[in-house]
Amino acid sequence: MQPFSGAGYDRAITVFSPDGRLFQVEYAREAVKRGTTSLGVKSTEGIVLAVDKRPTSKLVEPKSIEKIFQIDDHIGAATSGLVADARALIEKARTESQINKITYNEPIRVEGLAKRICDLKQMYTQHGGVRPFGSALIIGGVNGTGCKLFETDPSGALIEYKATAIGAGRHVAMEEFEKKYHEDINLEEAIELALDAIYEATDGKTTKESVEIAVIGIKDKKFRKLSDDEIAEHVEELLIRKSKEEKEE
Amino acid sequence: MKLNNTFPDQVVSDKKVLKSLNEPDKESKLVVLQSVGYPFLCNLVENPKIEIFDKELFELYAKEQWEGCTAKEGSFLFDQKLLPDYAFKIIKAHPDNSQITTNTSIILMEVKESREIKKIESNVRMNDVIGQERAKTKCKVIMKYLQDPDLFREWAPRNVLFYGAPGTGKTMLAKSLSNELKVPLFLVKATSLIGEHVGDGSRQIHDLFEAATACAPSVIFIDEIDAVGLDRKYQSLRGDVSEVVNALLTELDGIETNKGVVTIGATNNPYLLDFAIRSRFEEEIEFVLPNEKERLEILEFYIKSMPLQVKVDARKLSKCTKGMSGRDLKDKILKVALHKAISEDKDILEWEHVKYALKQYKQKKNEPKEMFA
Repeated sequence: MQPFSGAGYDRAITVFSPDGRLFQVEYAREAVKRGTTSLGVKSTEGIVLAVDKRPTSKLVEPKSIEKIFQIDDHIGAATSGLVADARALIEKARTESQINKITYNEPIRVEGLAKRICDLKQMYTQHGGVRPFGSALIIGGVNGTGCKLFETDPSGALIEYKATAIGAGRHVAMEEFEKKYHEDINLEEAIELALDAIYEATDGKTTKESVEIAVIGIKDKKFRKLSDDEIAEHVEELLIRKSKEEKEE
Repeated sequence: MKLNNTFPDQVVSDKKVLKSLNEPDKESKLVVLQSVGYPFLCNLVENPKIEIFDKELFELYAKEQWEGCTAKEGSFLFDQKLLPDYAFKIIKAHPDNSQITTNTSIILMEVKESREIKKIESNVRMNDVIGQERAKTKCKVIMKYLQDPDLFREWAPRNVLFYGAPGTGKTMLAKSLSNELKVPLFLVKATSLIGEHVGDGSRQIHDLFEAATACAPSVIFIDEIDAVGLDRKYQSLRGDVSEVVNALLTELDGIETNKGVVTIGATNNPYLLDFAIRSRFEEEIEFVLPNEKERLEILEFYIKSMPLQVKVDARKLSKCTKGMSGRDLKDKILKVALHKAISEDKDILEWEHVKYALKQYKQKKNEPKEMFA
């Protein structure tokens, strides 16, 4: 977005520009692009969430950068954009999930949760004196016998995807998905694809410390973050595969 | 001040001298004059514009006052009646060195007001612009069109917009185009089209396109076109916006067909442009930031011309300069590194100098990274 494109219509979120745009909300979407890449892939065996969390300095403890959150046993979310806003949203999601469990005595549906989050985000685009959330969420989880993957953006828009990415490398990652994604992809392949996309989105600067992966299997319906060893193994495989591809070229 | 160069010792105002010396016996048949103006100017005198509406009348007038004068090519005749001492240069006299009589036909050459075409001093070639293939392809089409304008007819390229981040080569490509083209290229800064007074802006735009049409086929390159093509909603901020925009609109695709004139606009802020002006551009070509391979090419290209010996791994540098434009690479990295090396009296530019430049660059870009993840 260029400076002064709003011409005054970006001073308040509740004011439309003459051509029907809400500039503050669009700016919030730009805030999402400032975050590093996060992505989600739906497979036949479950959801894969993967994030790139390159630390800004070597003094930062990589473990302290959280971009994948568990919301409930069967739901997880990957975020990108303003960290603090993401945390607030996750907190809200966790509460909603518990409220649902207590009220109806059954786990919340992924779609229902995503809609609750988006309702909240929408409120922050229509009321005066507030600002929109500067972060997007990829919400993935398992319902019954199927799994669902949603992307929410700062406007409160909600779209279900087979594979999606948010953050700085969204464009590159989506291209990679469009090239390689197919309907009957299994969990292992989905992890591979997610790492491929991260590799491309970060210009090949992928290390075992910079990646975090979580899976939610259809069978066990449990959110699980991959251990350091598992991630190291996957990243090693990825790097071998990529160096081979480069040699072939 | 130019005097009659044949008689440097003579007093100019005494024009009768011309006749008394070197008596020519030939009678001149044809004399072609060109109006030159007063021999000198001061704040009280302004050079008037001379316009002949009746050639015969002028001939009579001229013959009467210059009868008996010598017509020598390259010398001057001074008006003695209407505008005393207004000078005319004799461009052609037939036969040379002859005497003007009542039989001489005198013609005043019409001076075509020619706008000076700025020839840009640069040795940039189109191949020096790295990447931006789409823009280069379009430029090649434009070059082809200008070689043979009749071939394209109404399918000719007319208006093209270059936009994109600063330093990605928009102006550089235009410069290279002027180098490769054999036709005149009017390189205009849009800011120079804005006049001092209301009304100047639009007149200058009309003048520009008129001049370009006069020497068609030609190319007009308007740099920073957002200065004149500003969205008309800014009328309240700058009073002449609507006037200038309307002038530009009619010129870009108006009633008159600009035959053989291609207009290229460049801006790094296309969103500021008036929507009607944007719609006039048949193609909008984005100049993107270079990728790693292109950065490497750019670095290697500039390193070749550096005055010091360079011992820097360009590949390594291209890897850690993501998001920089061609100009950033040249000015903010290579130049800073070079100056650092020179200030240290080194003969070789080494990696440590580049590292210094990179550090300076990063310090300037102070983003609150911790806020985002």
